[in-house]
Amino acid sequence: MSENLRHIARLQPLLGTWVEIRACGRPLRLERAVRCAYLHIARVQQRMSFHHGDSVLTRLNLHAHRQPQPVDALTWSVLRKAQAMWRSSGGLFDVTLAAPLVRRGVLPDHGFATLRAPVGGDALVLLPGRHVALRRPVLLTLDGIAKGEAVDRAIACLRRWGVRSAVVNAGGDLRAFGPQAVPLAVRGSDGRVYAAGTLHNAAVASSMLGPAKAQQQRFAACLVHPATPAQRFGPAQVWTVLAAQCWRADALTKVAALAAPQQRTALVARLGGRIVQVAAAGGEQAA
Amino acid sequence: MAPSWQVHALLPVAALVAAPAGATQYLTVEQAQKSLFPEAEHFVAAPLQLTAAQKAQIEERSGLKQRWDKQEVWRAEKAGKLLGWVVVDDVVGKHEFIHYAVGLLPEGRVRGVEVLIFRETYGDQIRQAEWRKTLEGKTLADPFKLDKDVPNISGATLSCRNVMNGVKRLLVLQQVALQAAP
Repeated sequence: MSENLRHIARLQPLLGTWVEIRACGRPLRLERAVRCAYLHIARVQQRMSFHHGDSVLTRLNLHAHRQPQPVDALTWSVLRKAQAMWRSSGGLFDVTLAAPLVRRGVLPDHGFATLRAPVGGDALVLLPGRHVALRRPVLLTLDGIAKGEAVDRAIACLRRWGVRSAVVNAGGDLRAFGPQAVPLAVRGSDGRVYAAGTLHNAAVASSMLGPAKAQQQRFAACLVHPATPAQRFGPAQVWTVLAAQCWRADALTKVAALAAPQQRTALVARLGGRIVQVAAAGGEQAA
Repeated sequence: MAPSWQVHALLPVAALVAAPAGATQYLTVEQAQKSLFPEAEHFVAAPLQLTAAQKAQIEERSGLKQRWDKQEVWRAEKAGKLLGWVVVDDVVGKHEFIHYAVGLLPEGRVRGVEVLIFRETYGDQIRQAEWRKTLEGKTLADPFKLDKDVPNISGATLSCRNVMNGVKRLLVLQQVALQAAP
Protein backbone atom coordinates (compact mmCIF):
# COMPACT_ATOMS: atom_id res chain seq x y z
CA MET A 1 0.00 0.00 0.00
CA SER A 2 1.52 3.25 -1.07
CA GLU A 3 1.15 6.33 1.06
CA ASN A 4 -1.76 8.64 0.74
CA LEU A 5 -1.85 10.16 -2.71
CA ARG A 6 -3.67 13.23 -3.89
CA HIS A 7 -4.81 14.26 -7.35
CA ILE A 8 -5.06 17.82 -8.49
CA ALA A 9 -5.95 19.56 -11.74
CA ARG A 10 -5.17 23.15 -12.62
CA LEU A 11 -5.86 25.27 -15.66
CA GLN A 12 -4.18 28.54 -16.58
CA PRO A 13 -4.07 30.65 -19.72
CA LEU A 14 -0.48 30.58 -21.00
CA LEU A 15 1.31 30.32 -24.34
CA GLY A 16 -1.75 31.72 -26.06
CA THR A 17 -3.78 28.70 -25.08
CA TRP A 18 -5.03 26.75 -22.11
CA VAL A 19 -2.48 24.84 -20.15
CA GLU A 20 -3.87 22.09 -18.00
CA ILE A 21 -1.77 20.20 -15.46
CA ARG A 22 -3.09 17.08 -13.77
CA ALA A 23 -0.85 15.53 -11.22
CA CYS A 24 -0.87 12.86 -8.57
CA GLY A 25 1.52 12.64 -5.67
CA ARG A 26 2.13 13.19 -2.00
CA PRO A 27 -0.21 15.88 -0.72
CA LEU A 28 2.34 18.18 0.86
CA ARG A 29 4.47 18.77 -2.18
CA LEU A 30 1.94 18.49 -4.94
CA GLU A 31 0.62 22.05 -4.96
CA ARG A 32 4.06 23.54 -4.96
CA ALA A 33 5.24 21.17 -7.65
CA VAL A 34 2.43 22.23 -9.96
CA ARG A 35 3.01 25.91 -9.22
CA CYS A 36 6.65 25.44 -10.09
CA ALA A 37 5.74 23.67 -13.33
CA TYR A 38 3.58 26.64 -14.36
CA LEU A 39 6.50 28.96 -13.69
CA HIS A 40 8.62 26.98 -16.12
CA ILE A 41 5.93 27.34 -18.76
CA ALA A 42 5.60 31.05 -18.07
CA ARG A 43 9.35 31.41 -18.52
CA VAL A 44 9.20 29.84 -21.97
CA GLN A 45 6.40 32.24 -22.86
CA GLN A 46 8.28 35.23 -21.57
CA ARG A 47 11.41 34.44 -23.58
CA MET A 48 10.07 32.89 -26.75
CA SER A 49 6.80 34.67 -27.44
CA PHE A 50 6.58 36.38 -30.81
CA HIS A 51 3.77 38.53 -29.46
CA HIS A 52 5.66 40.05 -26.55
CA GLY A 53 7.68 43.07 -27.52
CA ASP A 54 10.18 42.37 -24.76
CA SER A 55 10.87 38.66 -25.33
CA VAL A 56 14.31 37.34 -26.21
CA LEU A 57 12.86 36.18 -29.52
CA THR A 58 11.72 39.69 -30.42
CA ARG A 59 15.19 41.01 -29.61
CA LEU A 60 16.64 38.44 -32.01
CA ASN A 61 14.14 39.38 -34.70
CA LEU A 62 14.92 43.06 -34.35
CA HIS A 63 18.70 42.98 -34.00
CA ALA A 64 20.34 39.62 -34.74
CA HIS A 65 20.69 40.37 -38.46
CA ARG A 66 22.88 43.35 -37.61
CA GLN A 67 24.78 42.06 -34.62
CA PRO A 68 25.00 38.64 -32.94
CA GLN A 69 22.86 38.57 -29.81
CA PRO A 70 23.62 36.73 -26.59
CA VAL A 71 20.75 34.50 -25.43
CA ASP A 72 19.88 32.56 -22.29
CA ALA A 73 20.38 28.80 -22.02
CA LEU A 74 16.68 28.00 -22.42
CA THR A 75 16.24 29.91 -25.69
CA TRP A 76 19.57 28.55 -26.89
CA SER A 77 18.51 24.98 -26.33
CA VAL A 78 15.27 25.49 -28.29
CA LEU A 79 17.13 27.17 -31.16
CA ARG A 80 19.60 24.30 -31.31
CA LYS A 81 16.80 21.77 -31.47
CA ALA A 82 15.06 23.83 -34.14
CA GLN A 83 18.19 24.02 -36.23
CA ALA A 84 18.87 20.30 -35.94
CA MET A 85 15.27 19.57 -36.90
CA TRP A 86 15.51 21.92 -39.90
CA ARG A 87 18.59 20.07 -41.12
CA SER A 88 17.31 16.56 -40.56
CA SER A 89 13.86 17.26 -42.01
CA GLY A 90 15.32 18.59 -45.24
CA GLY A 91 13.97 22.06 -44.49
CA LEU A 92 10.36 21.06 -43.82
CA PHE A 93 10.59 22.27 -40.25
CA ASP A 94 11.58 25.90 -40.47
CA VAL A 95 11.51 28.57 -37.78
CA THR A 96 12.25 31.48 -40.13
CA LEU A 97 8.75 31.72 -41.53
CA ALA A 98 7.30 34.49 -39.41
CA ALA A 99 7.51 37.30 -41.99
CA PRO A 100 4.78 35.92 -44.27
CA LEU A 101 2.57 35.59 -41.18
CA VAL A 102 3.27 39.18 -40.15
CA ARG A 103 2.38 40.28 -43.69
CA ARG A 104 -0.94 38.49 -43.36
CA GLY A 105 -1.57 40.12 -40.04
CA VAL A 106 -1.48 36.83 -38.15
CA LEU A 107 1.55 37.89 -36.12
CA PRO A 108 2.23 41.42 -34.86
CA ASP A 109 4.81 43.72 -36.43
CA HIS A 110 7.21 45.08 -33.81
CA GLY A 111 8.82 47.48 -36.29
CA PHE A 112 10.93 44.90 -38.10
CA ALA A 113 13.51 46.00 -40.67
CA THR A 114 11.83 44.13 -43.50
CA LEU A 115 9.26 41.45 -44.13
CA ARG A 116 10.68 40.52 -47.51
CA ALA A 117 13.91 38.66 -46.73
CA PRO A 118 13.97 35.20 -48.33
CA VAL A 119 12.97 32.63 -45.72
CA GLY A 120 15.10 29.57 -44.96
CA GLY A 121 16.68 27.91 -41.97
CA ASP A 122 20.18 28.58 -43.32
CA ALA A 123 19.75 32.19 -42.17
CA LEU A 124 20.01 31.13 -38.52
CA VAL A 125 23.57 30.94 -37.20
CA LEU A 126 24.43 29.70 -33.72
CA LEU A 127 27.78 31.08 -32.63
CA PRO A 128 30.08 30.04 -29.80
CA GLY A 129 29.30 31.56 -26.43
CA ARG A 130 25.52 31.26 -26.91
CA HIS A 131 25.32 34.05 -29.48
CA VAL A 132 22.74 34.02 -32.23
CA ALA A 133 23.08 35.73 -35.59
CA LEU A 134 20.86 35.96 -38.64
CA ARG A 135 22.50 36.04 -42.06
CA ARG A 136 19.62 38.11 -43.40
CA PRO A 137 16.68 39.80 -41.71
CA VAL A 138 14.32 36.81 -41.56
CA LEU A 139 11.91 36.66 -38.65
CA LEU A 140 12.02 33.69 -36.30
CA THR A 141 8.96 32.16 -34.72
CA LEU A 142 9.35 29.33 -32.26
CA ASP A 143 5.65 28.60 -31.96
CA GLY A 144 6.11 25.27 -33.69
CA ILE A 145 8.46 23.95 -31.04
CA ALA A 146 8.44 26.14 -27.93
CA LYS A 147 5.07 24.99 -26.69
CA GLY A 148 6.32 21.41 -26.72
CA GLU A 149 9.49 22.52 -24.98
CA ALA A 150 7.41 24.24 -22.31
CA VAL A 151 5.50 21.03 -21.71
CA ASP A 152 8.77 19.09 -21.43
CA ARG A 153 10.15 21.58 -18.92
CA ALA A 154 6.99 21.37 -16.85
CA ILE A 155 7.15 17.57 -16.83
CA ALA A 156 10.82 17.64 -15.80
CA CYS A 157 9.96 20.00 -12.97
CA LEU A 158 7.14 17.75 -11.72
CA ARG A 159 9.48 14.76 -11.78
CA ARG A 160 12.11 16.62 -9.78
CA TRP A 161 9.48 17.37 -7.17
CA GLY A 162 8.76 13.69 -6.83
CA VAL A 163 5.28 13.79 -8.33
CA ARG A 164 4.08 10.25 -9.03
CA SER A 165 2.24 10.79 -12.29
CA ALA A 166 1.14 13.78 -14.33
CA VAL A 167 -0.24 15.00 -17.62
CA VAL A 168 0.64 18.44 -18.94
CA ASN A 169 -1.58 19.57 -21.80
CA ALA A 170 -0.84 22.85 -23.55
CA GLY A 171 -3.66 23.29 -26.02
CA GLY A 172 -3.36 19.74 -27.26
CA ASP A 173 0.41 19.38 -27.10
CA LEU A 174 0.73 17.07 -24.18
CA ARG A 175 3.02 14.75 -22.35
CA ALA A 176 2.30 12.17 -19.68
CA PHE A 177 4.43 10.33 -17.20
CA GLY A 178 3.72 7.84 -14.48
CA PRO A 179 3.21 4.15 -13.94
CA GLN A 180 -0.11 4.01 -15.78
CA ALA A 181 -0.92 4.67 -19.39
CA VAL A 182 -3.55 7.33 -20.02
CA PRO A 183 -6.22 6.93 -22.69
CA LEU A 184 -5.84 9.32 -25.53
CA ALA A 185 -8.35 10.86 -27.89
CA VAL A 186 -7.79 13.02 -30.90
CA ARG A 187 -10.18 15.57 -32.29
CA GLY A 188 -10.30 15.22 -36.04
CA SER A 189 -10.68 17.96 -38.59
CA ASP A 190 -14.39 17.13 -38.67
CA GLY A 191 -14.56 18.02 -35.01
CA ARG A 192 -15.31 14.50 -33.88
CA VAL A 193 -13.31 12.85 -31.18
CA TYR A 194 -11.55 9.62 -31.93
CA ALA A 195 -9.90 7.20 -29.58
CA ALA A 196 -6.22 6.97 -30.36
CA GLY A 197 -4.85 4.32 -28.05
CA THR A 198 -3.03 5.16 -24.87
CA LEU A 199 -0.09 7.30 -23.89
CA HIS A 200 2.53 5.95 -21.53
CA ASN A 201 5.52 8.10 -20.64
CA ALA A 202 5.37 9.82 -23.99
CA ALA A 203 4.21 12.97 -25.71
CA VAL A 204 1.81 13.76 -28.48
CA ALA A 205 1.01 16.87 -30.49
CA SER A 206 -1.41 17.81 -33.24
CA SER A 207 -1.40 20.37 -35.98
CA MET A 208 -4.06 21.22 -38.42
CA LEU A 209 -3.32 22.04 -42.00
CA GLY A 210 -5.57 24.45 -43.83
CA PRO A 211 -8.19 25.24 -41.22
CA ALA A 212 -11.55 26.12 -42.66
CA LYS A 213 -12.51 29.75 -42.69
CA ALA A 214 -15.04 29.37 -39.94
CA GLN A 215 -12.39 27.88 -37.73
CA GLN A 216 -9.82 30.50 -38.56
CA GLN A 217 -11.98 32.98 -36.78
CA ARG A 218 -11.30 30.91 -33.74
CA PHE A 219 -7.76 29.85 -34.38
CA ALA A 220 -6.43 32.74 -36.42
CA ALA A 221 -3.54 30.53 -37.27
CA CYS A 222 -1.87 29.13 -40.29
CA LEU A 223 0.84 26.79 -41.34
CA VAL A 224 3.26 28.00 -43.94
CA HIS A 225 5.16 25.83 -46.36
CA PRO A 226 8.86 26.81 -46.42
CA ALA A 227 9.08 26.37 -50.19
CA THR A 228 5.89 28.24 -51.01
CA PRO A 229 5.06 30.67 -48.21
CA ALA A 230 2.20 32.22 -50.17
CA GLN A 231 0.36 28.95 -50.63
CA ARG A 232 -2.83 28.36 -48.74
CA PHE A 233 -4.01 24.89 -48.09
CA GLY A 234 -7.19 23.18 -49.12
CA PRO A 235 -9.34 21.00 -46.91
CA ALA A 236 -8.43 20.76 -43.26
CA GLN A 237 -6.23 17.87 -42.22
CA VAL A 238 -5.10 17.02 -38.74
CA TRP A 239 -1.69 15.55 -38.10
CA THR A 240 -0.97 13.94 -34.78
CA VAL A 241 2.49 12.71 -33.87
CA LEU A 242 3.68 10.71 -30.92
CA ALA A 243 7.26 11.02 -29.62
CA ALA A 244 9.27 10.65 -26.45
CA GLN A 245 9.51 14.42 -25.94
CA CYS A 246 6.84 16.97 -26.55
CA TRP A 247 9.09 19.43 -28.43
CA ARG A 248 9.82 16.66 -30.91
CA ALA A 249 6.17 15.71 -31.29
CA ASP A 250 5.30 19.39 -31.73
CA ALA A 251 7.94 19.93 -34.42
CA LEU A 252 7.21 16.67 -36.21
CA THR A 253 3.54 17.52 -36.72
CA LYS A 254 4.75 20.21 -39.13
CA VAL A 255 7.02 17.72 -40.88
CA ALA A 256 4.15 15.23 -41.15
CA ALA A 257 1.79 17.86 -42.49
CA LEU A 258 4.19 19.11 -45.15
CA ALA A 259 6.07 15.97 -46.23
CA ALA A 260 5.35 14.27 -49.52
CA PRO A 261 2.73 11.56 -48.88
CA GLN A 262 4.95 8.65 -49.89
CA GLN A 263 7.78 9.72 -47.56
CA ARG A 264 5.74 10.94 -44.66
CA THR A 265 5.66 7.93 -42.37
CA ALA A 266 9.29 6.97 -42.91
CA LEU A 267 10.57 10.51 -42.48
CA VAL A 268 8.69 11.10 -39.24
CA ALA A 269 9.88 7.71 -37.95
CA ARG A 270 13.48 8.51 -38.82
CA LEU A 271 13.21 11.76 -36.86
CA GLY A 272 11.96 9.96 -33.76
CA GLY A 273 8.17 10.20 -34.03
CA ARG A 274 5.20 8.13 -35.04
CA ILE A 275 2.16 9.41 -36.88
CA VAL A 276 -1.00 8.52 -34.99
CA GLN A 277 -3.69 7.24 -37.30
CA VAL A 278 -7.19 7.85 -36.18
CA ALA A 279 -10.16 5.90 -37.36
CA ALA A 280 -11.91 7.50 -40.29
CA ALA A 281 -15.35 7.00 -38.86
CA GLY A 282 -17.13 5.48 -35.95
CA GLY A 283 -14.41 6.35 -33.50
CA GLU A 284 -12.95 2.87 -33.35
CA GLN A 285 -9.66 2.68 -31.63
CA ALA A 286 -6.58 2.72 -33.79
CA ALA A 287 -3.02 3.75 -33.21
CA MET B 1 -4.53 0.46 -4.04
CA ALA B 2 -4.28 3.92 -5.46
CA PRO B 3 -7.53 5.30 -6.76
CA SER B 4 -7.94 4.73 -10.43
CA TRP B 5 -6.99 7.92 -12.10
CA GLN B 6 -7.28 8.22 -15.78
CA VAL B 7 -7.05 11.33 -17.73
CA HIS B 8 -8.81 11.56 -20.95
CA ALA B 9 -6.55 13.68 -22.97
CA LEU B 10 -8.19 15.45 -25.83
CA LEU B 11 -6.21 16.80 -28.68
CA PRO B 12 -8.73 19.19 -29.90
CA VAL B 13 -8.03 20.71 -33.20
CA ALA B 14 -11.29 21.60 -34.77
CA ALA B 15 -12.82 23.36 -31.89
CA LEU B 16 -16.07 24.44 -33.44
CA VAL B 17 -17.81 21.20 -32.88
CA ALA B 18 -18.75 20.39 -29.39
CA ALA B 19 -17.05 18.42 -26.76
CA PRO B 20 -19.17 16.74 -24.16
CA ALA B 21 -21.26 19.48 -22.69
CA GLY B 22 -19.69 19.13 -19.32
CA ALA B 23 -17.97 21.20 -16.73
CA THR B 24 -14.59 20.73 -15.19
CA GLN B 25 -14.22 22.12 -11.73
CA TYR B 26 -10.57 22.85 -11.10
CA LEU B 27 -10.63 24.78 -7.88
CA THR B 28 -13.00 26.12 -5.32
CA VAL B 29 -12.74 29.81 -4.50
CA GLU B 30 -10.92 28.99 -1.26
CA GLN B 31 -8.39 26.81 -3.03
CA ALA B 32 -7.81 29.47 -5.65
CA GLN B 33 -7.23 32.08 -2.96
CA LYS B 34 -4.58 29.89 -1.36
CA SER B 35 -3.04 29.10 -4.70
CA LEU B 36 -2.78 32.76 -5.69
CA PHE B 37 -1.57 34.01 -2.30
CA PRO B 38 -0.09 31.02 -0.47
CA GLU B 39 1.54 33.28 2.10
CA ALA B 40 -1.69 35.02 3.14
CA GLU B 41 -3.14 34.42 6.61
CA HIS B 42 -6.67 35.67 5.96
CA PHE B 43 -8.91 36.35 3.05
CA VAL B 44 -11.40 39.05 3.93
CA ALA B 45 -14.49 39.21 1.77
CA ALA B 46 -14.84 42.69 0.28
CA PRO B 47 -17.49 42.38 -2.42
CA LEU B 48 -17.71 45.33 -4.72
CA GLN B 49 -20.90 47.03 -5.76
CA LEU B 50 -20.05 49.16 -8.73
CA THR B 51 -21.85 52.41 -9.38
CA ALA B 52 -22.99 53.30 -12.86
CA ALA B 53 -20.23 55.88 -13.02
CA GLN B 54 -17.57 53.32 -12.08
CA LYS B 55 -18.89 50.87 -14.65
CA ALA B 56 -18.77 53.51 -17.33
CA GLN B 57 -15.25 54.44 -16.31
CA ILE B 58 -14.09 50.82 -16.46
CA GLU B 59 -15.62 50.38 -19.88
CA GLU B 60 -14.08 53.56 -21.17
CA ARG B 61 -10.60 52.85 -19.88
CA SER B 62 -10.45 49.15 -20.71
CA GLY B 63 -12.51 49.24 -23.87
CA LEU B 64 -14.35 46.19 -22.58
CA LYS B 65 -17.84 45.70 -21.30
CA GLN B 66 -18.25 45.50 -17.53
CA ARG B 67 -21.27 43.23 -17.44
CA TRP B 68 -21.71 42.80 -13.74
CA ASP B 69 -22.62 45.37 -11.11
CA LYS B 70 -21.30 43.13 -8.42
CA GLN B 71 -17.82 41.74 -8.35
CA GLU B 72 -16.64 39.22 -5.80
CA VAL B 73 -13.44 40.40 -4.18
CA TRP B 74 -11.32 39.21 -1.26
CA ARG B 75 -8.47 41.04 0.38
CA ALA B 76 -5.47 38.78 0.99
CA GLU B 77 -3.87 39.82 4.25
CA LYS B 78 -0.89 38.84 6.32
CA ALA B 79 -0.36 40.30 9.78
CA GLY B 80 -2.89 42.99 9.01
CA LYS B 81 -1.05 44.03 5.88
CA LEU B 82 -2.66 43.95 2.46
CA LEU B 83 -0.91 41.53 0.10
CA GLY B 84 -3.35 41.95 -2.76
CA TRP B 85 -6.82 41.12 -3.96
CA VAL B 86 -8.45 38.01 -5.31
CA VAL B 87 -11.17 38.86 -7.80
CA VAL B 88 -13.53 36.22 -9.12
CA ASP B 89 -14.98 36.83 -12.54
CA ASP B 90 -16.77 35.09 -15.40
CA VAL B 91 -16.25 35.32 -19.09
CA VAL B 92 -18.45 33.84 -21.69
CA GLY B 93 -16.76 32.66 -24.84
CA LYS B 94 -18.57 31.56 -27.92
CA HIS B 95 -19.22 28.13 -26.53
CA GLU B 96 -17.60 28.23 -23.15
CA PHE B 97 -18.30 29.64 -19.78
CA ILE B 98 -15.22 30.28 -17.73
CA HIS B 99 -15.26 31.06 -14.04
CA TYR B 100 -11.83 32.22 -12.98
CA ALA B 101 -9.94 34.02 -10.25
CA VAL B 102 -7.23 36.64 -10.61
CA GLY B 103 -4.70 37.61 -7.99
CA LEU B 104 -3.94 41.34 -8.20
CA LEU B 105 -1.02 42.98 -6.44
CA PRO B 106 -1.38 46.44 -4.88
CA GLU B 107 0.93 47.97 -7.49
CA GLY B 108 -1.46 46.93 -10.24
CA ARG B 109 0.20 43.79 -11.49
CA VAL B 110 -1.25 40.34 -11.99
CA ARG B 111 -0.02 37.74 -9.55
CA GLY B 112 -1.71 34.85 -11.29
CA VAL B 113 -4.80 33.54 -13.03
CA GLU B 114 -6.52 30.32 -12.04
CA VAL B 115 -9.53 28.80 -13.74
CA LEU B 116 -12.14 27.59 -11.29
CA ILE B 117 -14.70 26.11 -13.66
CA PHE B 118 -14.48 25.55 -17.37
CA ARG B 119 -17.74 24.62 -18.95
CA GLU B 120 -18.73 23.78 -22.46
CA THR B 121 -22.10 25.22 -23.20
CA TYR B 122 -22.55 24.05 -26.72
CA GLY B 123 -23.76 20.90 -28.32
CA ASP B 124 -23.63 17.35 -27.19
CA GLN B 125 -23.34 15.32 -30.36
CA ILE B 126 -20.16 13.83 -29.13
CA ARG B 127 -21.63 12.73 -25.90
CA GLN B 128 -23.17 9.73 -27.57
CA ALA B 129 -20.17 8.95 -29.67
CA GLU B 130 -18.69 5.52 -29.71
CA TRP B 131 -15.50 6.32 -27.96
CA ARG B 132 -17.32 6.88 -24.77
CA LYS B 133 -18.29 3.24 -24.76
CA THR B 134 -14.79 2.09 -25.49
CA LEU B 135 -13.62 3.90 -22.42
CA GLU B 136 -16.35 2.82 -20.11
CA GLY B 137 -15.27 1.84 -16.66
CA LYS B 138 -12.48 4.39 -16.69
CA THR B 139 -12.89 7.64 -14.90
CA LEU B 140 -13.11 10.18 -17.60
CA ALA B 141 -11.94 13.09 -15.62
CA ASP B 142 -14.48 15.22 -17.41
CA PRO B 143 -12.80 15.47 -20.74
CA PHE B 144 -12.26 19.04 -21.34
CA LYS B 145 -11.75 20.51 -24.69
CA LEU B 146 -8.83 22.75 -25.17
CA ASP B 147 -8.66 25.01 -28.09
CA LYS B 148 -5.75 24.06 -30.18
CA ASP B 149 -4.04 26.92 -31.79
CA VAL B 150 -2.28 25.64 -34.73
CA PRO B 151 1.34 25.48 -35.92
CA ASN B 152 3.85 27.96 -36.85
CA ILE B 153 1.45 30.07 -35.25
CA SER B 154 -0.55 32.92 -34.11
CA GLY B 155 -2.37 34.54 -31.34
CA ALA B 156 -4.36 33.17 -28.55
CA THR B 157 -7.36 31.00 -28.97
CA LEU B 158 -10.63 32.76 -28.55
CA SER B 159 -11.73 31.65 -25.11
CA CYS B 160 -8.22 32.26 -23.85
CA ARG B 161 -8.25 35.74 -25.31
CA ASN B 162 -11.54 36.39 -23.57
CA VAL B 163 -9.93 35.61 -20.24
CA MET B 164 -6.95 37.81 -21.02
CA ASN B 165 -9.39 40.61 -21.82
CA GLY B 166 -11.20 39.88 -18.59
CA VAL B 167 -7.94 40.25 -16.69
CA LYS B 168 -7.28 43.54 -18.44
CA ARG B 169 -10.71 44.74 -17.38
CA LEU B 170 -10.11 43.69 -13.78
CA LEU B 171 -6.85 45.63 -13.71
CA VAL B 172 -8.82 48.73 -14.61
CA LEU B 173 -11.46 47.80 -12.07
CA GLN B 174 -8.69 47.66 -9.50
CA GLN B 175 -7.64 51.22 -10.29
CA VAL B 176 -11.18 52.52 -10.41
CA ALA B 177 -12.75 50.78 -7.46
CA LEU B 178 -10.25 48.93 -5.28
CA GLN B 179 -7.36 51.27 -4.81
CA ALA B 180 -9.68 54.13 -4.10
CA ALA B 181 -11.34 52.10 -1.34
CA PRO B 182 -10.05 52.59 2.21
